[in-house]
Amino acid sequence: MIAPRHGLMLLAPLALVLAGFFLLPVLMMLPTSFREYAPGTGIAPGVWTLENYTRIVTDDYYREVIWRTLGLGLFVTLACLLLGYPLAFLIARGPERWRVPLILLVIFPMMLNLVVRSFGWIALLSNRGLVNNLLIQLGLIATPLKLMFNLTGLMIGLTHIYLPFMVLMLVAAIRNVPRDVEAAAATLGSSRLHVFAAVTLPLSAPGILAGSILVFVLTISALVTPRMLGGPTYKVMATLIYDEYMQLLDWPSGSALSFALTAMAIGVIWLSSRLTKRWAGMA
Amino acid sequence: MSALSFERLGKSYGEAEVVREVSLTIAEGEFVSLLGPSGCGKTTILRMVAGLVAPSRGRILIGSDDVTSLPPNKRGLGLVFQSYALFPHLTVFENVAFGLRRRKVSGAELDLRVKEALARVRLDAYGERFPRQLSGGQQQRVAIARAIAPQPRVLLFDEPLSNLDAQLRDEMQIELKRLQRGLGITTLFVTHDQGEALSMSDRVCVMAKGVMQQFATPEDIYHRPATGFVASFIGRPNRLSGVVATRDGQGGSLRLGSGLTLQAAHIDAAAGAKVDVVIRQEAIRLRRGQPEPDAIAGTVALRSFSGARVQYVVKLTDGVELIAETPSSGPDSALDPGTPVSLVIDAGSIFAMASEGAAA
Repeated sequence: MIAPRHGLMLLAPLALVLAGFFLLPVLMMLPTSFREYAPGTGIAPGVWTLENYTRIVTDDYYREVIWRTLGLGLFVTLACLLLGYPLAFLIARGPERWRVPLILLVIFPMMLNLVVRSFGWIALLSNRGLVNNLLIQLGLIATPLKLMFNLTGLMIGLTHIYLPFMVLMLVAAIRNVPRDVEAAAATLGSSRLHVFAAVTLPLSAPGILAGSILVFVLTISALVTPRMLGGPTYKVMATLIYDEYMQLLDWPSGSALSFALTAMAIGVIWLSSRLTKRWAGMA
Repeated sequence: MSALSFERLGKSYGEAEVVREVSLTIAEGEFVSLLGPSGCGKTTILRMVAGLVAPSRGRILIGSDDVTSLPPNKRGLGLVFQSYALFPHLTVFENVAFGLRRRKVSGAELDLRVKEALARVRLDAYGERFPRQLSGGQQQRVAIARAIAPQPRVLLFDEPLSNLDAQLRDEMQIELKRLQRGLGITTLFVTHDQGEALSMSDRVCVMAKGVMQQFATPEDIYHRPATGFVASFIGRPNRLSGVVATRDGQGGSLRLGSGLTLQAAHIDAAAGAKVDVVIRQEAIRLRRGQPEPDAIAGTVALRSFSGARVQYVVKLTDGVELIAETPSSGPDSALDPGTPVSLVIDAGSIFAMASEGAAA
């Protein structure tokens, strides 16, 4: 065992770096979010206001972006869960010799640059992209489907990018489900399907929760992919914050939106943890 | 009426044959143990009965139904694991109710039967707890309640007491035996612990390397071992090497490497063959002082006190060392190292079998 004093010393280097380069700047943003924006010059001197926050709730455009961001996070998380669970189950329970190749396949996309992967989706999803061209040539559709600059495009791209995180979390969790407990359910009269629903699924809840939180948080804070697949007009909170800061130089509003995004993320994590724990009896 | 029987049951993994042609019949309400060292195939047999492992050969019958190819959920068995295998996300009540709900028991009857099962293992007050809030012994009792609640045709135990500490294990042995007698459920109990098997069972099946060695009452297993393996596995054996001098019916006389000659009641080899000689520690009686005519002379080399019993390492005049065990009270319980003693060994407790390798 490491004594608490030594533990603190081991923690100190990282804690100092985080305090100096993360916590402090974030705290410095807090006063900025209560300042007034002066068009053209940035922050108006000497004026304090709550308007940056009230506008997030009252402004229709901001509200739309917030709901879009939350919806995107939810959809991508669900899609990753639905696509990832069967694959994770196969990796965890399938033949031993498949495990390493399958895991390599799962993490392989992560070795490619994010911009390159997003650009690949543009080539596939644009109006004259591979998917639309193929469908038109097959005679299935007459005019191109709108697969980009909308929710569909973002969902497809982000699901692809964050699926590996979900799968890796789920594999670990499914491998931790004791086989004896499943066997016990079977001898007590459970069919294979019921064993899965009543034992395997709830016992892999920690992985479902961890994977979902990870994917959700990554999705609602993703910048590059939404910018490339959403274009300059179809915005989510991350791209909106970026534009407020870099295009409009509206730092007060950008700061307020940043804190709102953080609060939303924490709120959703807290709620989903409570629900999962109640469902899986972990509370 | 047989409750559970195997007909030439076998299991192979590739080339390796882990269970070889085991046939036995267990009567209704009987408590039978499968006893053997690890890797003898006993757990594989249990898992085949439960339907968790598919047999390679042979048949399994519960009552008169052939269940060989039925999935586990259609067999109506109760299984208790070494690891307890409770549902960690369900309360104790829901754990016990699990099998009943699968049998469409609900409402007041469900409540009644769960409470009855919990009362049988003395955990009436623990229904609302989660398994992680219970001790190991309590968790195992919940697992037993869960297995008996649906009134299975056969109860299976897979080393259920191995994870418990010694004192609790002794208590649980008695509790489990009483419970089984009370319910009258046919029981198959897998263990590597001979004390457990002998004390709890109506009959014991001793296994070695996938082969059934003997299937008999605990008394027969202990006093009349059918094979050399059983003789050397049961009790606390001294193992010596020797040669069969003469044969006489079942027994004969043995000559140990050192020239000492012993009479043995069971010899599994022809005259002149090299054998392993097994002498139970508890079958050797020690007397202080010089030997009587038919006794062997030796000297106490070491005394080891373990509560109810005392073990002596006795060095014979020719250098061979034997371990003898006696009760820790009485005239022979306090022999100091260096004391000359005489050893009397009952011929019925000496067994000989063909030398290591050919035996099991």
